[in-house]
Amino acid sequence: MSLVLPGEQVPAQHVNLKLGPGLLQLSTVNGQAAIVSTRAGEVKHSANGKKWWIEGNSRRYVPAPQESVIGVVVARSGENWRVDIGSAHMATLDGLAFEGATKRNRPNLKVGSLLYARVSLAHKDMEPELECFDAQTRKAEGFGELKGGFLVSCSLKMCRLLLDPQHFLFPLLGSRFPLETAVGINGRVWINCKEPRQTIAVARCIEAVDPDGGGLDEIALKKFFGTLDV
Amino acid sequence: MRDVTIIYEGLDRVDGSARFGFGSTKSLSSVSGPIEVRPTLENPAQATLDIQIRPLAAIAGTDSKALATILKSIFAPSLFLSHHPRTLIQIVGQALCGTDSGSGLGSVGRGWNASLTASLVNATTAAFVNAGSVPMKGVVCAVSVGRLQSEDARATLILDPEEAELSRLAGSGCFAFLFSAVLPASPLSSADVPPCSLLWTNYTTAAPFDVAELSSARELAEKGARQVWQKMKESVAWLENSSASSVKVKVKVKTEDEEPAGGMDVDVDDEKVEI
Repeated sequence: MSLVLPGEQVPAQHVNLKLGPGLLQLSTVNGQAAIVSTRAGEVKHSANGKKWWIEGNSRRYVPAPQESVIGVVVARSGENWRVDIGSAHMATLDGLAFEGATKRNRPNLKVGSLLYARVSLAHKDMEPELECFDAQTRKAEGFGELKGGFLVSCSLKMCRLLLDPQHFLFPLLGSRFPLETAVGINGRVWINCKEPRQTIAVARCIEAVDPDGGGLDEIALKKFFGTLDV
Repeated sequence: MRDVTIIYEGLDRVDGSARFGFGSTKSLSSVSGPIEVRPTLENPAQATLDIQIRPLAAIAGTDSKALATILKSIFAPSLFLSHHPRTLIQIVGQALCGTDSGSGLGSVGRGWNASLTASLVNATTAAFVNAGSVPMKGVVCAVSVGRLQSEDARATLILDPEEAELSRLAGSGCFAFLFSAVLPASPLSSADVPPCSLLWTNYTTAAPFDVAELSSARELAEKGARQVWQKMKESVAWLENSSASSVKVKVKVKTEDEEPAGGMDVDVDDEKVEI
């Protein structure tokens, strides 16, 4: 539970050390290598001390490979689609990067459609690229166009909490009414419910539990949910 | 030194924002980045820093432009700009107080005094810490040092002069330090605060000063900057109470790892690893 500011040294040591987000190995003035944090957050590590990272919160998404994101189609450039995933650059999605797509049989996307896609290429010098199928099985596995529903923005830490199967929010909401969700790690959550008031209730609960705007825990959220008329 | 207040604003539509105050001398800063950049400002090797400063009242004049250049020279060495080429990091800073000396009121007044400049630098640092999306080499902390008018040759230096004392000062300046673990340790450094180095200063006096006075002003400022660093460290406690108690690190055994399936090892799923 140790909080660090950027620029502080982190005591990470292992034979096969793997540094995750927020940590960099820099050399100090006397030539030694030091593991230094580059963002504010909690220092976390795996049980065997091999993987270390900084757990913090932010609102701006920086793409990394193999992450599932929700994107909005903004333009078409030839065979490809330009998709906004909330990063500094627009992402490119090949028109054939779907399960079972051929030149004759292509998914019919429009400008403004929502997609659940996987970042296949993310390099700091290039534009990110997306694919709408799983890397190993080459099948859709939930990726593709999201029809209908409602898009909610949240902080990046909230998305990671929602992706945790042990988090309390979605089971709690799911026990009250049926809902369909897709969580993108770029700070976007897609909700699909039968009634608009249910959608609004889910959106407000996500905002309430978000560490940025409320940070309610389970008991407080149950009370808050009771005040919503759903 | 006056009471330091740090408030993480949570402004809409920006990625990070913070308010910093030395007593009643306050400023607000917001940071957005890395975001899309206009092709004219694009740099293929690193991120572009775009800084805008606004006074409390009136429009931004020459002193705002000067402050923007100063902030750029302070923050460019303290961020890892090469990690995000062809992007923009936008900083907007604003004074939250117009003082008796007329500072914070644009070119109409006498420009920004040293305390206000220091609070602006600290507010920008806090906004970067709040944003979390731009990698930082270290934390920049700034304080102001004033020199009292005196008849004898030796000058009396005070740390963080108050608004009421500003009229009695014969000189003042803001000192900005970068606190990072990669810097060499100085004799003054302690175990819990990383070593620091001076990034920028604008120490100016009415009567001439010598190198000895500048170095003693610098030492005094370094002590004050350390206190500011510790206050910033305390203020980051908001990261702790973020529903972390109900979520533990995921206990998921990855098949491609060398740990056996029956082990109690705690591994993190790739989804949670955010670059």
